[in-house]
Amino acid sequence: MSTATGYNFAYLDEQSKRMIRRAILKGVAIPGYQVPFGGREMPLPHGWGTGGMQVTASVIGEADKLKVIDQGADDTTNAVSIRRFFAHTAGVETTEQTAEATLIQTRHRIPERPLQADQILIYQVPIPEPLRFIEPRESETRKMHALSEYGAMQVKLYEDVARFGHIATSYDYPVMVNNRYMMDPSPIPKFDNPKMSMMPALQLFGAGFEKRIYAVPPFTQVESLDFDDHPFEVQSWDEACAICGSDHSFLDEVITDDNGSKMFVCSDTDYCRERVDQGFVGTAADLSTSEQETEQ
Amino acid sequence: MAVSSHELIAGFADPVQASQQVFRAALKVMSEPGTLVEIDYAETAPKGLDLSTWQLALSLLDPNTRVWLSPTLAANDAVISNLRFHCQCPLVDNPFDADFVIAWHSELPLLAELNWGTAEYPDRSTTLIVQVPALSDEPDWTLSGPGIEHTRSLYVAGLSEPFRSDLTRSRQRFPLGIDTFWCCDNRMAALPRTTQIEPFKKAEEAC
Amino acid sequence: MYVAVKGGEKAIDNAHALMRTQRRGDSAIAELSVDQIRQQLPLAVDRVMNEGSVYDPELAALALKQASGDAVEAIFLLRAYRTTLPRFGYSEPLDTEQMQIERRISGTFKDLPGGQILGSTYDYTHRLLDFSLLAAGEAEMAPEEANALSEALAAGNSCPRVLELLNKEGLIEQSRESGLDDQVPRDLTREPVNYPAERAVRLQNLIRGDEGFLLSLSYASMRGYGDSHPFSGEMRTGRVSVELVPEELGFPIEVGEVLLTESEMVNQFHGSKDLPPQFTRGYGIAFGRAERKAMSVALVERALRAEELGEEVLYPTQDQEFVLSHTDCVSANGFVSHLKLPHYVDFQSELEMIRRLRNEQSQATQSKTTNEEADA
Repeated sequence: MSTATGYNFAYLDEQSKRMIRRAILKGVAIPGYQVPFGGREMPLPHGWGTGGMQVTASVIGEADKLKVIDQGADDTTNAVSIRRFFAHTAGVETTEQTAEATLIQTRHRIPERPLQADQILIYQVPIPEPLRFIEPRESETRKMHALSEYGAMQVKLYEDVARFGHIATSYDYPVMVNNRYMMDPSPIPKFDNPKMSMMPALQLFGAGFEKRIYAVPPFTQVESLDFDDHPFEVQSWDEACAICGSDHSFLDEVITDDNGSKMFVCSDTDYCRERVDQGFVGTAADLSTSEQETEQ
Repeated sequence: MAVSSHELIAGFADPVQASQQVFRAALKVMSEPGTLVEIDYAETAPKGLDLSTWQLALSLLDPNTRVWLSPTLAANDAVISNLRFHCQCPLVDNPFDADFVIAWHSELPLLAELNWGTAEYPDRSTTLIVQVPALSDEPDWTLSGPGIEHTRSLYVAGLSEPFRSDLTRSRQRFPLGIDTFWCCDNRMAALPRTTQIEPFKKAEEAC
Repeated sequence: MYVAVKGGEKAIDNAHALMRTQRRGDSAIAELSVDQIRQQLPLAVDRVMNEGSVYDPELAALALKQASGDAVEAIFLLRAYRTTLPRFGYSEPLDTEQMQIERRISGTFKDLPGGQILGSTYDYTHRLLDFSLLAAGEAEMAPEEANALSEALAAGNSCPRVLELLNKEGLIEQSRESGLDDQVPRDLTREPVNYPAERAVRLQNLIRGDEGFLLSLSYASMRGYGDSHPFSGEMRTGRVSVELVPEELGFPIEVGEVLLTESEMVNQFHGSKDLPPQFTRGYGIAFGRAERKAMSVALVERALRAEELGEEVLYPTQDQEFVLSHTDCVSANGFVSHLKLPHYVDFQSELEMIRRLRNEQSQATQSKTTNEEADA
């Protein structure tokens, strides 16, 4: 029994968990393929992580240590809300440290610190179908996946090249998994795409409203789509993190005054903290991450 | 066959946590093909089932999963009664109609008799649970594919030569295919349909 | 000095406390009880039960209270509760012919067996604000005779459905082909929908669907964005008993009764190569007194049968994937409102991209100007 009386451990009933677990196993066996599952209603709205939460609820056990991030940060309101949900319904230990987490539920980022074997990264996915904006019909996109007919996506990306000189998709950038299925990596920045390939950790994806689960097993090839003459490339910044000085992490831009002055800081707050602990400093050495309470 | 109450044994002592632990073990072996794990969340299994088979059944089967049992198991009152009582899974006569097939290594149906899924829904395929006399990482098969960094070796005893070659060749039909759990006592390993299987080459042969 | 924003936990606690205060309003005014909501806002309760997919007026009233009267939020609360409920069994199909009718209207026949029963309705009221309600006065109650008549009607014998009268003459399609058994419908809250979806799944989806969305779709289908020229064959409201066959008994027992509104539409059909010209059916049913909902469901339901009846699918209302994927107010609300969540990372990616594109463009223009100057 959980700490939240009246509900099962981790909220979902056992039959629902079994159904989701069977879907996860099929997802792992067919990397990148979207397994339809009987998505349940969760007490959070669709689009706020209900798919990721159903996967987490089905995977999590008493021995797990859970980390939840949104935009790379542990302290964003939605991450706080989901972390609390599991602390409350499953009574599990939570952590902000990437290194010590066994399960990491994420929205929009992959942590900067490389993940290890036996960790599980669970992505919240709003729209799991990479071809959805090319073909809105499920019955059609299903055929396209069945036949590996992905020409339409190549055409779309090439239209970018013709128009802008390069591919203009900067996040939610489609990938091919194990050379067979085109997959939506969820709206992570393309900066994170290379981390997905040959990752030692297991990657699970849950889309709540669309009722789809998919997976990338450890050490599986994940390639971002590109062209021979326009190879895939990731974002880079001229600036470094103002707090920890990192010149290799994904940076958030922060507007600091009414004149639009700005600075850049790591989007992965735990990575930034870890570097500060190690003695790294950024350009603004007097900056601190002390509490500033936002009342609303 | 009805439930024979004298054959019934206890299920998991803590069903919620044990089901989760067994599922995590299943997830590990399915996502890291050829990896061996031992699961010990139940003390005994119904006579005829390996301990790992029984724990998998308790963790994954329920009224929504159709199960086909190989002949010896299907004729075993203890197996049937406990599956019916603890899992309430419907038993089917034809392996093609089953979501899960539980079989002795010596009673395996042909792979072609199982449901491989369809091009549009490859997930609607049979999961095969095979009870084998020995299971180890001795070099017999050399495995590669998703979930395996370089290669991994696995020895599954008791499989007929035709079944071994059918399984190896079935990889050509990906994404259609059969995912398999191998169970022996409390040990378990798995091979999803993505795993490429090659006979182990001894070093001198490879040269 | 820049300080990284922290304190999400505290902010959430404060926000919820503020919400509770706002919900209570002026504490000098008496607090609403769940019973008051249930008794005095029954149509709001019915809507929450319908889209929440739970027949429980008390819980629906509680949800409305907790949601400050926001129907969509209340529906969400009820749905999230529903998911965790164990399934004890499935009821026998309801027999609405045995309904204890409190209201029954046919637009197709002036008089018919069982008669037209106006019952209680807002139809024909003049929509003039009744200032006597503002003055906390008691509304005029129904005279004794009307009450007595209504009760007598409800207790009276069942009456056949209008469409079955047409059926006797063979003018309307059979609701199922003769010789076919009842099909056990799939439960769309336990299994994902696959397209094309069968009729039972479509109906389940519509009955849980957002009332406003369905109303607008049916309106569009009648205005020409669809091929709908229906008649309201019958609309009936009343109580129906619910029966269950327990495994150990093997025969049905009554477990309760529900108040339902059922709508049956009659649509023209010009026939196809397989079927003669005949009327076709559109069906809708809803919990409580929910006529607008039941009629909208019936209209959209019929429009969605276009493909099955060999009609050309030209409009969104006839398109299964378009309609069924977007009916659910809980999902729609979740997805629209998720835009309030942080998207810093994606936005940063787009910023970087736009800046790069603009740089490249201005460099290209510059070098073009330089070249032109050099040429000159």
